[in-house]
Amino acid sequence: MMKVLVTVKEVAEVEEDFVLDGTRIDDRFLEYDLNEWDDYAIETAVQLAEAGDDVEVVSATIGPERCEETIRMALAKGVDRGIRVWDDTLASVDLLDVNAKTEIFNAIIAEEEPDLILTGVQAHDDSFGATGVSVADAAGYEWAAVVNALDLDADAGVAHVRRELEGGVEELTDVELPAVLTIQTGINEPRYASLRGIRMAQRKEIAQQTLDDLGLDEGAVESQITLTDMYEPESESDVELFEGDADAAAASLASVLREKGVGAQ
Amino acid sequence: MELTAEQRTIRDVVREFAVEELREGAQEADKTETFPEDLWDGLAELDLTGLTVPLEYGGYEADRVTYALVNEEVAYGQLAVATALSVHCLATSCLSEFGTDEQKEQWLPEMATGRPVGMFCLSEPEAGSNPAEMSTTAIREGDEYVLNGRKQWITNGQRGEVAIVFAKTDPEDDGSVTQFLVPKSTAGVEVGKKEEKLGLRASDTTQLTFDDVRIPAENRLTAEGRGLSAAFHILTGGRVGIAAQAVGVAQAAFDQARTYAHEREQFDAPISEIQTIRHKFAEMATQIEASRGLVHEAARQDDAGEDNRVTAAMAKYFASEAAVDVANEAVQIHGGYGYMSEFDVERFYRDAKITTIYEGTSEIQKEIIARGVLD
Repeated sequence: MMKVLVTVKEVAEVEEDFVLDGTRIDDRFLEYDLNEWDDYAIETAVQLAEAGDDVEVVSATIGPERCEETIRMALAKGVDRGIRVWDDTLASVDLLDVNAKTEIFNAIIAEEEPDLILTGVQAHDDSFGATGVSVADAAGYEWAAVVNALDLDADAGVAHVRRELEGGVEELTDVELPAVLTIQTGINEPRYASLRGIRMAQRKEIAQQTLDDLGLDEGAVESQITLTDMYEPESESDVELFEGDADAAAASLASVLREKGVGAQ
Repeated sequence: MELTAEQRTIRDVVREFAVEELREGAQEADKTETFPEDLWDGLAELDLTGLTVPLEYGGYEADRVTYALVNEEVAYGQLAVATALSVHCLATSCLSEFGTDEQKEQWLPEMATGRPVGMFCLSEPEAGSNPAEMSTTAIREGDEYVLNGRKQWITNGQRGEVAIVFAKTDPEDDGSVTQFLVPKSTAGVEVGKKEEKLGLRASDTTQLTFDDVRIPAENRLTAEGRGLSAAFHILTGGRVGIAAQAVGVAQAAFDQARTYAHEREQFDAPISEIQTIRHKFAEMATQIEASRGLVHEAARQDDAGEDNRVTAAMAKYFASEAAVDVANEAVQIHGGYGYMSEFDVERFYRDAKITTIYEGTSEIQKEIIARGVLD
């Protein structure tokens, strides 16, 4: 029996036109959806479950009741059960930082003891991009970040992964289980939930847990960082029209691109 | 109307599929008059092709509200695909309701997975709004029926494999219309020419001719003479779906026009700030909301076991006429661009018109409504 834990997040997407209110964006300009990277992590986990004999996939999230829809969608796609952590203390926290998330997920890991943990590389909204690796460190798991291909050898307890590095370089790494992998978009093609999946998901369990249930107190979610400001950067746009025939235009374009650092030699 | 969590999720998932997949290929499918089979596979993966197949035969057995939600969203993406789906659903509904256990076992589990595709053969060249005038016959000969005749405007005509066919067992008796199951592979079934249409051009529409087609007597789905009432019963259920499709097309046209009106600037401001344009949106939005309200009410009545014939007819009549109006205004708001096939509203305008015609014209719907409120 193998257990895969997928941590997911419901992220806020800001509408095109919005108004900043101090360091907040009002709810009326926000739409909530499953974090894009997490969708790929879910698909990875579900594919493992479909390929393996006895694989349980559990999904965990931190968030208010609204997030049940998101986690229910994961259940509709084939995740077996869900855990949602929320209580009044969490509701009163202004900024849930990486440390806080690490504490919470680490407590869940202690309870669930998964063999493999999949997270998205980053969350679309706060973009800390650190939770997965931080969780691995706290739980004493191995880890690999920005994974865009996975070949799991469960019997040998090794995940053969391909990681996407900057500049078009990729590397192959073997990671011993238990491990945390942060999943990059494009690793697979996330499925749509089927109607039967959606119906079954209504009957699957989403366990609600409080900090107390996890053996944590307020201190666990106190943030060391403070959000001091939020603003829209001034944006500039510039247009340059190339004159002349195709050869001349292409030459001008090439020189502009070179100037901007594209295609460096 | 309050939707269940399951219904909301289904609506959202199908909407996403419509936007990401169905809409993507719509222009090309329309242009080349090619039914997008890969999108049909996508519908099957979502279990949509088993929408009206009972659970025990591997289907989803949707309630009518869910059926309406799905139809609206699929049509939001591409009406030609929604039409193909709803006709497939008519065929599986007929089999579910009137087939023997053996027939259901033979056809439904596979049809639920998308193929074979179903067809519904009622209309004829000389029999549209009054199907009792049909001339297709099914004459009993021993353990068989022998079918002869021609059916018109058959959706899925080329790609379909399972036909629900209505024919008279006595050519002299208008009351002898009977329902049959005819596999298209049966000798004597011929697919006629592909129809050239104003809109819905990606939909596979052909004639189907029956030339001494011999089928076993057990393929008769209803008692002799009970075919028309069966057809009307199934069509009343399906009508809510067609009305929902009209809402989907209208909403699609509205959304495109809304985006365009915000982007398009004339007289130094977006045209969405000009009152004549704003009032168009007010009217369009009201028509869409009213249509959707009628559709949901007709669906709710069906699910509650109430007689919804009048409401379903109201929904079909109102929503389809609204779709034509809304698509028309969406083109108008786009100005010259709306007349160009690069813009989706041009297709919506052509597609919307069929919703006032097929599966009961607006005139027939009014007859049903008038009968309900007067007689």
